[in-house]
Amino acid sequence: MPKIIIDGHTIECRSGIPVLQAALEAGLAVPHYCYHPGLSVVASCRLCLMEMKMPNPKTGQMDWAPKLFPSCQTPVRDGLEVRFRSDPVRENQQHVMEYYLLNHPLDCPVCDKAGECYLQDYTEANGPATSRMVEDKTKNPKKDIGPHTLLYQDRCVLCSRCVRFCDEIAGTGELAVVGRGSRCEIDVLPGQPLENPLQGNVVDLCPVGALLDKGFLFKQRVWLLRSARSVSPADSRGQTIWIDYNEAGIHRIRPRYNEKINEWWISDEARFGWKHVHRPDRLRQPRIRQGVALQPARWEELPGLLRAPFAGVAACASPAGPGGGARLAQPPSLLGRGQGEGQGIGPLAAVLSPMLTCEEAWLLAKLARSLAPQATLVLGHVPVSGHDQTYPNGFTIKAEKCPNRRGVETILQHLGGPTASFQEFLAQAVEGRFRAAYVTGGYPDAWVTDPVAAALARIPFLVVHDLFPSALDGAAAVQIPGAAWTEREGTFMNCDGLLQPFERALPPLEGVKADGQFFYELLGQPGLFRAQTVRETMAAELPQFSEVFIPRDLPKRAH
Amino acid sequence: MTFGRVLMRHVGVPNSTSLAVYKADGGYAGAARALQMTPDDLVELVKKANLRGRGGAGFPAGVKWTFLPKDRTVTYLCVNADESEPPTFCNRVLIDSDPHLLLEGVLIAAYATRTTVAYIYMRGEFCEQFHILQRALDEAYAAGYFGHNILGTGHNLECYIHRGAGAYVCGEETGLIESLEGKRGWPRIKPPFPAVEGLFRKPTVVNNVETLACLPHILTRGLDWWLSIGTANSKGPKMYCISGPVNRPGCYEAPLGLTCRELIYGADFGGGMRDGKQVKAVFPGGLSMGALRGDLFPKPPDGKVDPKQDYDELDCALDFDDVRKYDLLGLGTAAAVVVPEDADIRDVLLNVTRFYAQESCGQCTQCREGTAWMYKIAQRIRAGAGRRVDLDIIEETSRNMGMIPGLSICGLPDGAAWPIRTLIQKFRREFEQRIAAQEPGAAQSLIRRTNAAAYELPVLHGRAVQPAGGTFATPLDVAPPR
Repeated sequence: MPKIIIDGHTIECRSGIPVLQAALEAGLAVPHYCYHPGLSVVASCRLCLMEMKMPNPKTGQMDWAPKLFPSCQTPVRDGLEVRFRSDPVRENQQHVMEYYLLNHPLDCPVCDKAGECYLQDYTEANGPATSRMVEDKTKNPKKDIGPHTLLYQDRCVLCSRCVRFCDEIAGTGELAVVGRGSRCEIDVLPGQPLENPLQGNVVDLCPVGALLDKGFLFKQRVWLLRSARSVSPADSRGQTIWIDYNEAGIHRIRPRYNEKINEWWISDEARFGWKHVHRPDRLRQPRIRQGVALQPARWEELPGLLRAPFAGVAACASPAGPGGGARLAQPPSLLGRGQGEGQGIGPLAAVLSPMLTCEEAWLLAKLARSLAPQATLVLGHVPVSGHDQTYPNGFTIKAEKCPNRRGVETILQHLGGPTASFQEFLAQAVEGRFRAAYVTGGYPDAWVTDPVAAALARIPFLVVHDLFPSALDGAAAVQIPGAAWTEREGTFMNCDGLLQPFERALPPLEGVKADGQFFYELLGQPGLFRAQTVRETMAAELPQFSEVFIPRDLPKRAH
Repeated sequence: MTFGRVLMRHVGVPNSTSLAVYKADGGYAGAARALQMTPDDLVELVKKANLRGRGGAGFPAGVKWTFLPKDRTVTYLCVNADESEPPTFCNRVLIDSDPHLLLEGVLIAAYATRTTVAYIYMRGEFCEQFHILQRALDEAYAAGYFGHNILGTGHNLECYIHRGAGAYVCGEETGLIESLEGKRGWPRIKPPFPAVEGLFRKPTVVNNVETLACLPHILTRGLDWWLSIGTANSKGPKMYCISGPVNRPGCYEAPLGLTCRELIYGADFGGGMRDGKQVKAVFPGGLSMGALRGDLFPKPPDGKVDPKQDYDELDCALDFDDVRKYDLLGLGTAAAVVVPEDADIRDVLLNVTRFYAQESCGQCTQCREGTAWMYKIAQRIRAGAGRRVDLDIIEETSRNMGMIPGLSICGLPDGAAWPIRTLIQKFRREFEQRIAAQEPGAAQSLIRRTNAAAYELPVLHGRAVQPAGGTFATPLDVAPPR
């Protein structure tokens, strides 16, 4: 670990990083635009310049060199002495900030970036209060550069981060700098819009309000937003994200740095994968079948309604004695449907969706096994689309579009007993092997295909716990509204076995109970569901769940 | 002093671009001699000759070659023929009349640096010159001076001519390399320097056309001949260009150390000013090196100097050292452009700022925004709406664009700031006279007309004082009249 001296303070830093990164990690507010730790260094904004001690050629003594050095381009080495608090450095920052604002439209009141804009921050810290330029500003155009992105060229500071991102991380190279000098613009080639699956990152990368997300345009002021640490359910890689939300709901998703998985970036699937949370057709009320129709029910009556039939089914299925069948002869009123044609007595099944958190899957599995020790535990439908896509820099978008298959599998393996894959479960269901099943969904997209619906319709007592109405509505005896992942807390285990916790951003939709809380109540546990508590009890049996991975926070002043 | 032209000896010779004419005059003898030596001896020789780069910075070519890593396997030689400094045309003259001299220099330099591939990066506008050089290269290939096993020595050299697209910044060596690689001509950050990691990420030498053209003569005429030419630290002949309203504008060869006055008034050179006009200013080293005053009293020939007298600066010797005494950035390309006494200094400023605003590559903030801002100010001053504070702003801007080294990636902003700052400093009185002669309130009315927003900024009222020089305080004279 090299030690360097910044402004007289000795700082220990990682080796191989630039001085700027070391300074930022030490908490210094060094202004910078073009530098980004995930991209190549171009040293073109000239804002992070510093003074450095060099051996004086005349005396051989270490002395402040009479020039400035870009700190983003100077690697740390042991004993290096630099300073940012000096007149030449400060003057340079002032001048550069003045230059940046010469042609800037100063339209902060209508700019989405206002509040988290580094032009604002640095100008406040270093820049002049007024511009000395009295001439007309150069007016650059506003451009539509892709299906999701706008470019307000007049706000651009030409840090070229977006260009480098497209070249180096996405490898698609849609963006380029065109023109020369102060007529430089960022642009796309005609007919080749910015639409790669990682393109949303250029909006986060932009230190000013030049690149804008069309979905977030003019929607919210950023100072009205709160952020929750979350994990994206968009694919099985477990990209960590910030959910920016307020009382009105979610407004956008930003990447949360994660050194093991997604670094500074997220895929567009993760970025825009929250829209379903606010879909108007979300289920909002538990409903139970009375007659032919599903009728609204109260949450309080559900535990009783569910436990009794499940226990009944379990008792029949148990090899305890032939009397079991007789007991089912007086089925609970809910079992009104399908009982006549039941071919033999099927066991109980619980379908654990890979959209559930580890804690929820655990509780549901425990519930099923507590009601019926021989209950079949099923890993729910695993949505897969296409192939894994790997980008030049190693960023991967997984084909598996669910966050927790590995977590559910781990739990199933641990619990042992009868388990089945979803396909096996469907096949057995078609054969009528199941008398009751608890099916969890929670997928953002429609997942119930005709074969699935047909197979599940064969189960006499079907409980469907899902976000949206589906083809299962006709078959379900009980329909329970689920909460989206933004409304729950817990952990997802990604495809590589990394366990990552996430926070709740929003309260569950009105009338909806968070899944974990509901399972808690079904199990008869008192109090509130807390993922942490459940995880601790799990860890006692399953050491994989004893440690969660929390990525380190980025330094505050870095961007 | 008798001085025989060597670099320009074939200017005016009929059919001088042909190999036959060149060889008849002892052509490629230097290369033949060089190929007998070891490359290290050759580098040593050029170091002893103190051959300083003719491209502008004046860095010793031999020393540059020694920066190449010892254990390199591939080396590239780039010839900088992207001559785009405004009044400069010596490379063009050289290629026009003596392309084989350049090619022989390329061969020698390639051998000295153990290069097997050389690229001649040629300015896009050099259309005719490209064909001349290409023809000469084809001839040289046919005669066995390029290609495999040159002159039976076992040395190989492939040479390609690459045409640029006319960007000034591609004359900067790393900009040239980027452009040669097919990328946008944005100068690279240094380190690594090209000698370590240049073209295609391999060790690369970039030399100017004229520098290479000197090599054959050093070899054929010997070190003693070379060291007998020029001044203490600046050895060898140099091609000087002179343009502007002089009687004989053109390119002339002389030993380094020619004074500016000689260049303008010498019978062998500029031949005096047209119509007997006086010189107002001279940009003696290409635009970027700054301006000299010519509108004051000449120094008396007897050398007696009155310290109270303002002398003009035409006695500046155009070599690598003397120019610094006159607040010039360097020798540059030694291409002087003369501004006559009746020219409006505001026009000069406008022209200079326009060039750099046009040619800034747009990478570093200071250069990108500063050059454009200065151009806007110069336009306004020219339109008769200047303010005295504008001069301060220009001066301050030029200072923080390139005066402290390290503020930007390449040398372009230094080259942009220097002539603008020297113009403002040396001719400030004239600028102020012009501004004083403007219509009263012209600046205010023009600003109000073109940019009402700036005028209506409410913060301008009652905002502190305008201290001397440029600051970040709001200039008082922008405030609306009470």
